Amino acid sequence: MRKSIMRTSETIITAFTAALASLALPAAACAAGGGGHADMGVSLPLYSVLPFAGMLLSIALFPLLAPKFWHHHFGKVSAFWAVVLVVPLVLGYQGAAVYEILHIVLADYVPFIILLGSLYTVSGGILLKGTLRGTPALNTGILAIGTILASWMGTTGAAMLLIRPLLRANAHRQNRTFMVVFFIFLVANVGGSLTPLGDPPLFLGFLRGVPFFWTFHLLPHMLVAAGILLTLYYLLDRHYYRREGITAAPDDGAQEPIRIEGSYNFIFLAGIVGAVLMSGMAKWGDISILGIHRGVQDVVRDGLLVLMAILSLAVTPRTLREANAFTWFPIQEVAILFIGIFLTMIPCLKILQAGSQGELGFLIAAVREPLHYFWITGILSAFLDNAPTYLTFLSTAMGGFYPGVAESEAVMLLIEENPLYLLAISAGAVFFGALTYIGNAPNFMVRSIAEEAGTPMPTFFGYLFKYSAPILGSVFVVISIIFFI
Amino acid sequence: MKIEKILFPTKFREFAFEALESLLVLKDVGLREVVLHYVIPREEVGFVPYGGYLKDEEERLREETRIRFQDWQQSLSAHGIGSKIVIEVGDPVPNVLALAEKEKVDLLVVGKKKKTGPELSFVGSHTLQLITRSTVPTLVSKHMVEYESSGQMVTRLNDTIFQRPLLATDWSEPSGRALELLLSMKNVVGSVSVCHVIGVKIAKNLDKSGLHLLEKESRKRLDRYCERLTAAGIPAAPHLGAGRSVLEIIRIARETHATMIMMGTTGKDRLHEFFLGSNSHRVAEASELPTLLVP
Repeated sequence: MRKSIMRTSETIITAFTAALASLALPAAACAAGGGGHADMGVSLPLYSVLPFAGMLLSIALFPLLAPKFWHHHFGKVSAFWAVVLVVPLVLGYQGAAVYEILHIVLADYVPFIILLGSLYTVSGGILLKGTLRGTPALNTGILAIGTILASWMGTTGAAMLLIRPLLRANAHRQNRTFMVVFFIFLVANVGGSLTPLGDPPLFLGFLRGVPFFWTFHLLPHMLVAAGILLTLYYLLDRHYYRREGITAAPDDGAQEPIRIEGSYNFIFLAGIVGAVLMSGMAKWGDISILGIHRGVQDVVRDGLLVLMAILSLAVTPRTLREANAFTWFPIQEVAILFIGIFLTMIPCLKILQAGSQGELGFLIAAVREPLHYFWITGILSAFLDNAPTYLTFLSTAMGGFYPGVAESEAVMLLIEENPLYLLAISAGAVFFGALTYIGNAPNFMVRSIAEEAGTPMPTFFGYLFKYSAPILGSVFVVISIIFFI
Repeated sequence: MKIEKILFPTKFREFAFEALESLLVLKDVGLREVVLHYVIPREEVGFVPYGGYLKDEEERLREETRIRFQDWQQSLSAHGIGSKIVIEVGDPVPNVLALAEKEKVDLLVVGKKKKTGPELSFVGSHTLQLITRSTVPTLVSKHMVEYESSGQMVTRLNDTIFQRPLLATDWSEPSGRALELLLSMKNVVGSVSVCHVIGVKIAKNLDKSGLHLLEKESRKRLDRYCERLTAAGIPAAPHLGAGRSVLEIIRIARETHATMIMMGTTGKDRLHEFFLGSNSHRVAEASELPTLLVP
């Protein structure tokens, strides 16, 4: 199996390297003709998005087809796609390509990883202890609290805080799978829709100029989705609870009062919220880092986020993090995979930003209405990662309405003149992330923790066809009818 | 204080079983059970990026480990020692410490790493955390070690570790408990060297007469330790050292041909450990001899 995968990988590598080497030729001609980075999106060929597609398909398919290989070699796969894109791009566009690479790394990737890392570190220092007995009301309450927290501590942070207590509380229950599935729906996805802290796509939007509190416009959408899901969950849980014949919670004599340890980490969490807010409101001028202009307030924000994480690490006892089963591995994975994603998506973003002049003009022409954006952003978010998908369709919308306009200006124009489009893209990216295990990073972490704790979880397709497609699909139809038609 | 139950966590490194075998002599002083422990690191089977959990891989690792442990169990039962297998997924350090507490073991045995790298330490990061945080006596087992001596690589086999232990004392309560533990092992211990080092930090603040007074007091205390051991039927000899504690302990251990170093160890907080370290931990890191640390 492993040998055949290696052989297949070698074949793919050879084919792609040959195809992408040719990328350098027209691009070099364009660069020689005076095409700077502003023209890159117009001259880039369509096949330059292949590494991006390859990267996202690797994330989608390897965990299904060769999970062991993927577990041990995902870093190499990410590096491979990054190199396949970067080498020909730099050969072809030279300074312009170097600028775009540095820009996406310094202005998008680094802040993105710093935010995720700080939220993960701080929330990993908060431990919910005590004896909880899983009843339909209590479980619904945990899901509701997690949904609210997700927008403020990130879907990853809220999920990591609450998944183990939920599993412990329901260890005596026979049917636990649906609980984890609804937890993924609500806490790991839908709940994160209100602030840029909630879900990675919204933070990427914030970095591109979407105001911090603008995402609160998604509150009605979130309330509808969460309301339907919580009601449905309660009814399902009550049904199973009665069928399981549980008349009273088991009493093993070890009642421990509910308490939160490491609650001082909420101060650091507030510090993170404050730092991100500050960077959205302050304008302290620009500084140049490796030739890339960044706002001083953004650099200060990143420094403060790192400081919050360091303070959390310093003051939180090691035993508390151990009780949370805190490990750096998930955040390392995200950092390794996302450098590949961010680098390979450069051509895709540039082509889309070029609007009808770019090779993806047909896509921009086809995606016209907010409803289209909601469903197409959503469905692609479900099967690819939702963060790059959000950026792709944000660029599509901007390319459609304001081709050639500078990005930050185009974002503001989109918010002022066509906010429904941005709402549709945001809601699609965040909500549909729950449709599959690969839609959003916390999904697989929750699944992993649940399976480790002995809760059977459905397969990829089991999750999709038995749970998410029928349940979430219905919710999305309701949202479409209310908000986007 | 008596060793009846041992926790033996292992990663199945080279000589792990031989290290376990070298402890079986403790049956003569009351050893009745060994808990064989393997922690499958969570990262090995969990958090597959976008994939979840490798259930089949966990099952495979559990089965492989069970088969290996069952082989060890046969050997243990041939020696009349009971055993238990615990295989878990988790984080090695907290899982080992939690199991030591749950099983109420009397001795935790941790392995050594090859003495490599710029720090030239026999103690890896996991072992260092375990010896720092363990609340039960912890043996850093070094069954076979390679180290540099006089410019040459020397291989040493530590297979009779209880033959001639060196008890290094600083007169603290943990040192007293180390003495008690040693006394409980009288049937397997051949002879004991007891040493104390007048450290540089203390000596530099004393004049000559003060130093003589300290020397006299130290010798008196050493004699008292030796008398207790001799009274229990264990031949003991005192050794007083002066200078840098860690180097002196290692020097005395070599000169007395010790087979193991026993020391009391006080729990240091994280900052103290980071900035100042601990003599007992440094001895465990630097000495080629197995080191038994008693908290």
